[in-house]
Amino acid sequence: MQHTISFTHNDKQVSVEIPTGALLSDAAHLAGIDIGQPCGGQGRCGRCAVQVTEGNVRRRSTLRLSPDDVEQGYALACQTVIEGNVSIYIPPQEKIERRLTTDRVVAEVTVPEGYEYLQDQTVRRIHLELTPPSMDDQTDDWSRLQTAFRQQHKMEHPFGSAQGGVTCSVSLLREMGEVLREGDWNVTATIETSRRADEQTSRLIQLQPNHIDEYSPLWGTAIDIGTTTVSVWLVDLVSGQVRAQVAEYNGQIARGEDVISRIMYASKNGGGEELRQRVLDTINELIKTACKRVNAKPEEVVKATIAGNSTMIHLLLGIPASNIRLSPFITAVGHPPLMTAREVGLKTHPEASVDCLPGVASYVGADITAGVLSSGLDTAEDVTLFLDVGTNGETVLGNRDWLVTCACSAGPAFEGAGVVNGMRATQGAIEEVWINSETFEPTYRVIGGVKPKGICGSGLISLLSEAFITGIIDKAGNVNLMAISPRVRDGAHGGEYVVAWGAESESGEDIVISRVDVDNLLRAKAAIYAGFTVLADTVGIPLDSVSKVLIGGSFGKYINVEKAVQIGLLPDMDWPRFEFLGNTAVKGAYYALLDWRKRKQITEIAKRMTYIELSADNSFYDAFTSALFLPHTDMSKFPSVAEALSRSN
Amino acid sequence: MPIEIPKDKWTGSIRAVTIGATSAEGGTRTKTVTVGGQTTMPYLQYEAMPSGDEAPNKPVIAIEIKSRKPEDWSPLLADVWGEAMADPAQWAKKAEEAGADLLVLALTVEDTPEDAVRIVKSVLSATGLPLIVWGPGQAEKDNELLVPVSEATNGEKIVLGICEDKNYRTIVATAMANGHLVQARAPMDVNLSKQLNILVSDMGIPKDRILMDPTTGALGYGIEYGYSVMERLRLAALQGDAMTQLPMIVTPGFEAWKTKEAKVGEGVPEAWGDWKARAINWETLTAMSLVESGADIVVLRHPESVKRVKDAIEELVTV
Repeated sequence: MQHTISFTHNDKQVSVEIPTGALLSDAAHLAGIDIGQPCGGQGRCGRCAVQVTEGNVRRRSTLRLSPDDVEQGYALACQTVIEGNVSIYIPPQEKIERRLTTDRVVAEVTVPEGYEYLQDQTVRRIHLELTPPSMDDQTDDWSRLQTAFRQQHKMEHPFGSAQGGVTCSVSLLREMGEVLREGDWNVTATIETSRRADEQTSRLIQLQPNHIDEYSPLWGTAIDIGTTTVSVWLVDLVSGQVRAQVAEYNGQIARGEDVISRIMYASKNGGGEELRQRVLDTINELIKTACKRVNAKPEEVVKATIAGNSTMIHLLLGIPASNIRLSPFITAVGHPPLMTAREVGLKTHPEASVDCLPGVASYVGADITAGVLSSGLDTAEDVTLFLDVGTNGETVLGNRDWLVTCACSAGPAFEGAGVVNGMRATQGAIEEVWINSETFEPTYRVIGGVKPKGICGSGLISLLSEAFITGIIDKAGNVNLMAISPRVRDGAHGGEYVVAWGAESESGEDIVISRVDVDNLLRAKAAIYAGFTVLADTVGIPLDSVSKVLIGGSFGKYINVEKAVQIGLLPDMDWPRFEFLGNTAVKGAYYALLDWRKRKQITEIAKRMTYIELSADNSFYDAFTSALFLPHTDMSKFPSVAEALSRSN
Repeated sequence: MPIEIPKDKWTGSIRAVTIGATSAEGGTRTKTVTVGGQTTMPYLQYEAMPSGDEAPNKPVIAIEIKSRKPEDWSPLLADVWGEAMADPAQWAKKAEEAGADLLVLALTVEDTPEDAVRIVKSVLSATGLPLIVWGPGQAEKDNELLVPVSEATNGEKIVLGICEDKNYRTIVATAMANGHLVQARAPMDVNLSKQLNILVSDMGIPKDRILMDPTTGALGYGIEYGYSVMERLRLAALQGDAMTQLPMIVTPGFEAWKTKEAKVGEGVPEAWGDWKARAINWETLTAMSLVESGADIVVLRHPESVKRVKDAIEELVTV
């Protein structure tokens, strides 16, 4: 029986006749309409979604459609069978490129609800009007300033000393006299009131002539020093808003990809100082870039809150880190005292307060305590799993009553480092790939819609998964050179697959994923998977009973959960349980930068977490080697992937 | 008071695998060898369900010969095999006389594809034993030699090896096309063995055409690790893991004759005793330890070791 299918496409209407049982995609083809099918018409990618405006169809699969979509008449052209006359609306391409039901996108950062600069912030600006000195009043400048603090702002010294309530450095004393006179005894002081200890002490950070608008931006910065990626957020401490977010590879990468090789390098003659300088250069450059975006100067930044794993913090502060590497794995300092930018070497205001957040153990540092804070895991009612998909692959499991944590070396692959054509998730990075299983031709999406430069973490996850599902690589990651496609070839590093030909790429060179890249990705995902499975085993919590899986990491703006499950990075559970939080460490540092109560909460989190040492027995190694396979040696743990594979074959 | 021996109950069993085909089965072998089929841990036949009196397939012994006279083998081996070492067909006959249940013919890098085919055929006509053929152990060369050998021996049900995770596709494909079997070797790890078995069987070859080679070490050189891996593979298989339910082939001859104790006769402590006795003991003990951990095929080099291991196996299965 023939049916009439009317298409509306680009404001034009076309009708064709087609028999019962034909697919909508066939009808569109007959009508001369090109509907992209990146996955080759298998219902995997959801890119051929069209809207049925009239009539009924039978949907063989709605894998890519939400109930809302179906309600609105959406159907996948390649999975929809014609059973009568229908009218179809084909949406423009940009509308089709909407997010899939399996995509988890990082939420925009918003100022924490109820943020009150004057109550929550440790740094603030105050106006002082000093009585000018005279022959009758020959009080010294510093005492005069202290008197103003005491009388105008009730800042008493905790011990009732005659010196008054505020301390300062000698370099401030050197310029004090001039500043006081320049402003004709009207000055603006930026002071920090530390709330770390029980008593409050205040420190003068800067003294400026005249009265500066109290509500003009006061700059602070939240920093996460990752082994691979350093992130810097520039924050207006008055409004609490994040005004610039920048990130760059850690300059130390050139001296080792993981913390162990960095520690070894640091213990060589002069190595520690070199690494300190390298990461400082990275941070200072990022602060400069961030400040430029908002027309501020780095010297105007008066507070920095820093998260980072224990090794990164040691290297930043120039503290020997060698004992982190040696049994029984001890840090020199878990919770560094408050410091100044001058001491640390940050090119902000030299008196700026530098606050390094506390860590738990040698391999679970402040990036994770900050991550726990920003993920809300420490206040969760139900058992929640938090995965930091980064170079050190830390995992935290627990809820408001208990928290356990472990770490494993995953390597930098998911951050785009250590992969031939890998890159950070910035403009020009391929962030999503689909491969047609018949032709092995890829379709990809590039951040910023420009010519591709490389592949970022989310792109690598999606590429690895597609190459696996379509049979370009086997379960061990071997490139199947028997696959007939010019894109599959024997390259310099063994078998490789060409994602973008030189003619399409920015550099003019082919963008490929090689056997070596696949190995690095496999090791990274296996380490992370083994880490959380062994952790869950250790505390006797079946993974199934975890109510939520929170994913942190700086591999992109989003993660496709289905793809991450297909490569065995994430456990095979129903998709709604996953949430992607982006860089949780810098976010936690941001919360701590703004609010001293949050800052205290991180200290509490660090104390509450129980560290599980994975190297204590063989179970991690066993879990690691069994996860060193796509998706896993034990296929029964991945039923949805088995199904996807059988659909694909 | 009667003592009841506790029995473990298992849900899984090892697949029975037959090597070689007689003329009735499309080959030219005068006998075939079947290994596997166990339903218990090694030599605990009383646990077998349902009756416990069915005799399982015994472990068998393969003797390793080479396509060319090996220059790096121990002089003790050269003494015992003599001139035959230079002629694979002769060597095969002597190996059969020495009690081999089947043969391993190892090709070398010097062989051309034509040499390989010719030598394999000469060995097949010299004896009626089932045959295992190994490439020289370099991926490209293995594929270059094994494909023509496989085609020239279509239907013989020989075992082609050695498949490893980085090079298995070509060997498995040609084995499937010509009705042969494959030997899949992973480096002493339960997971890696299992993974390779999955890769190989994902290509579509029936599971009763795969022999699993878990790799081993000689006595004093990591045998306990190999032993433990084999034991765990067998446990996993009996617990129902389909990807480990394959018979195991191991190479104690190769491993034992690499050791200093077997290889070197001079400049060693006097307390080490007679060289020849020691070398054979080394091979025998290595082989027997592996037999006891569940090996189905042990590949040996010295005829005296073959005799002793054969006797020991007889004793094990008749108790």
